[in-house]
Amino acid sequence: MGFAHVNIILCFSLCPCNMMTLISFRKDLILNTWNWIVEEIKKIRNIGISAHIDSGKTTLTERILYYTKRISTIHEVKGKDGVGATMDSMELEKERGITISSAATHCEWKGHKINIIDTPGHVDFTIEVERTLRVMDGAILILCAVGGVQSQSVTVDRQMKRYKVPRIAFINKCDRSGANPYRVKDQLSQNLKHNAAFLQIPIGLEGRHRGVVDLISMKANLFEGPNGENVRFTEIPDEFMDEAEAKREELLDKVSMFSDELTEAILEERVTEDLIHDAIRAGTLSGQLTPVLMGSAYKNVGVQPVLDAVNRYLPAPDEVKNVALDLDLEEEEVPLYSDPEMPTVALAFKLEVTPYGQLTYLRVYQGSITKGDSLVITGSRKRIKVGRLVRMHADQMEEIKTAHPGDIVAIFGVECYSGDTFTDGRIRYNMSSMFIPKPVISFAVTPEDAKAEKNMSKALSRFVREDPTFKYHVDHESSETIISGMGELHLEVYVERMKREFNAAVTTGLPQVAYRESITSKASFDYIHKKQTGGAGQYGRVAGFLEPSPTGDYEFVNEVKGGAIPTEFLPAVDKGFQSCLEKGLMTGFPVVGMKVTVNDGRAHSVDSSEKAFTFAAIGAFKQAYSKAKPVLLEPVMRVSVECPTEFQGNVMSFLNQRRGLITSSAEEGTFSTIEAEVPLGEMFGCATTLRSLTQGKAEFAMEFSKYAKIPTALAEDIKKQLRTKSIKGAKANE
Amino acid sequence: MSDFSTVSPLKILDHSVQRGLGAGNLGVLVARAGVGKTACLIQIALDKILRNEKLVHVSLEEGPEKVISYYRVLLGEQTKSLNRADESEAHALVEANRMILAFMNQSFDIKRLLANLKNLRESLQFQARSLIIDGLDFKSGGKPLFQGLKEIAAEFQLEVWLSALSHRHINDVNERGVPYPCHEFEEFFSIIIQLQPQAEGVFLRLLKDHDSTEISKTLIRLDPNTFLVSEKT
Repeated sequence: MGFAHVNIILCFSLCPCNMMTLISFRKDLILNTWNWIVEEIKKIRNIGISAHIDSGKTTLTERILYYTKRISTIHEVKGKDGVGATMDSMELEKERGITISSAATHCEWKGHKINIIDTPGHVDFTIEVERTLRVMDGAILILCAVGGVQSQSVTVDRQMKRYKVPRIAFINKCDRSGANPYRVKDQLSQNLKHNAAFLQIPIGLEGRHRGVVDLISMKANLFEGPNGENVRFTEIPDEFMDEAEAKREELLDKVSMFSDELTEAILEERVTEDLIHDAIRAGTLSGQLTPVLMGSAYKNVGVQPVLDAVNRYLPAPDEVKNVALDLDLEEEEVPLYSDPEMPTVALAFKLEVTPYGQLTYLRVYQGSITKGDSLVITGSRKRIKVGRLVRMHADQMEEIKTAHPGDIVAIFGVECYSGDTFTDGRIRYNMSSMFIPKPVISFAVTPEDAKAEKNMSKALSRFVREDPTFKYHVDHESSETIISGMGELHLEVYVERMKREFNAAVTTGLPQVAYRESITSKASFDYIHKKQTGGAGQYGRVAGFLEPSPTGDYEFVNEVKGGAIPTEFLPAVDKGFQSCLEKGLMTGFPVVGMKVTVNDGRAHSVDSSEKAFTFAAIGAFKQAYSKAKPVLLEPVMRVSVECPTEFQGNVMSFLNQRRGLITSSAEEGTFSTIEAEVPLGEMFGCATTLRSLTQGKAEFAMEFSKYAKIPTALAEDIKKQLRTKSIKGAKANE
Repeated sequence: MSDFSTVSPLKILDHSVQRGLGAGNLGVLVARAGVGKTACLIQIALDKILRNEKLVHVSLEEGPEKVISYYRVLLGEQTKSLNRADESEAHALVEANRMILAFMNQSFDIKRLLANLKNLRESLQFQARSLIIDGLDFKSGGKPLFQGLKEIAAEFQLEVWLSALSHRHINDVNERGVPYPCHEFEEFFSIIIQLQPQAEGVFLRLLKDHDSTEISKTLIRLDPNTFLVSEKT
């Protein structure tokens, strides 16, 4: 890594000799500071806690914060004491006992700094999930000892696999009746294809669950004190000895494949705890091993060993490969290094409104951020000043001076969007592509009263900052507020959040697909715009033809010869045609893929003006458009469904019925991934149907693929529907 | 799209006694690693698809995305070498007629293939005429595998094309000169074609032609970039 020693070298060359002692002292100091920071980075753990709803994620987080002394009392989820667990900062989450938003919280355990990024348990909140997975380096996968591996766990796990997030598993609720961690471990291996290894066995299950046997140290861990804060290590009770020995053998067998040293040590019977830890760590980091711990967060059993495991087995920020896109090199991927001296790169992964102003959560990937620094937002090129730099603990905060690579911090009062990249201005890196897809679906939202209207507008301006694929506008014909985004579910989440977080009661209209119009053949125009009503007249003639553009974009070609249209008026002609693209004459949807060639015209020495030529172009468009045989286009989505293989047939015929074109099906293990192109209009309500078709075991994702022509018969139906709607709209406006 | 037949690798079968493989039969392309079995299989697939016949492409090594991009590249090469003005018609045919089934990490077995084909026929009314299987491990499957494929070919009336990986150091041949790894399973194949890389390009040679004892000795030269016929030798 090329860290900057430049300042030291400069000092040497500029300073007189009698200052050498001072310089060498300074050099040592800088080097020591650098080494110290690098050592500190190795002790950072950025982790997510992922789980199925109700498997005890919030309870575990709460216990972790308690044992790391970040909170002094324990609250239960669903607010038996009316306070609610600390991590759930949004109202909606408090009410449902689930977590939607990813607040980050910081704690320290045995010299390590752990940042817990609370991950959404729902798979539907894609942008949120993707950003969270991106900022975390490792994860705890919580499983319920009774419910075992549920479909949601499968989905969450697959997402983590996709992002190559190393994870440890914690089998929670071992105190519940019907608890069976052995079965859950088998499911981990079978359903999730994890190479899972028990690091512990339970001391008693269900009502008798009181501790765990650590198979590495071969000691029993008991959790004593009113809140289980005192961990007592004792000899393994006799009745658990045989099982412990057998399971230890299994563990050594599994992890030895990740360490030759351990393999040798086993043969020579000189196995040490450190050797086992190192092998488990190597296996975990490679993603080929999932260490399994267990206990009951609610009964305060087994939580501290989870923290030990986080420190021991999950990666430090400098052990994870992170990349950014270099905008100066056409978005080429470039590696980021956990070097505090290199140019700063940080990602804003979450925005929150607090009573103190807007809070932006940042993860620093490279370089450092110090209070008072100025940073540049790559996307908007805006320069901002870091006023206050804080480390967050859910709703409380701690002021800090400097943040280093791997740190998760928050800054105040910065106008930015979620997903923005911050640099110190020396480089133009962006953490994700600058390409933002255009929304494909929209619906109207109507506030129920004046208060709701005010709150709704607050909510909307917040959401557009959080999510670049979410847009809103006011339709000037119906005066309705229209929100648009990437899918039905996407918008529904925001409507729900408007109600819960912003107290904006709104009703929603029917989803509206963003159709497009496009012409299919060549049609010529020759139009004269003439107006003489006293005073200065208007005169302009344009002639040429419209045709489908081969590139799919709007094109304007000037083939006018001999100055038939004076050059200064040509931009006005272009402008006139472009203004027509906003609203096609057939259905009122925008026109795409049209090429306009102007080859003749006439101007009047007195009466011609830019305005006159703009009107002439509009007239010419109206004259030729219907002759150019316009058709209606619909957005087609690339849909990918992952489901257990037994549902493959159901899913395929479901997609087929929705005018989907199935392109492929890939099987791996017990899972199938089906890819298809399906018109968006056919995907409404599809999440629900898919769930019921697959017993909730399917995960589906879709993204915009292309605009395609709607079959003629269907296009007629849609046109008819649109006409009725616009008539109704017109009546309502009267 | 008729111009394609003049450059399709299937032109080799003009020299076959039945002038084709025929439904219910298995055909195999045998070559060493890196000679271009997949490319050649895809050109055969495109030959079928551009005749507006439905086809299932089974991939055992690459995921669907890779396979799709492979088709796209080869179709592009075709368009160039045939001076076709517009690719969109060919693309539309490919999209409508091709179904890719990928079986990753040894998840392929005859039962799963059968279930998939039934599902395609019954739920999607996708009646394939040909089946391409790329990357099948001949050794581990053994005779039951080919027996199963033969039954599938008969039940669905499919022309089945496979690729087989031969090896530079394994020179086993059977009494009819059929090389490893096809030599032990020759009875199941109606057509065996060998791909031989030489300095002037890749040559196709018929090794087995249904039950004929008089096998055409004609070699067909393929352009090593496009895997289209460049001239007869």
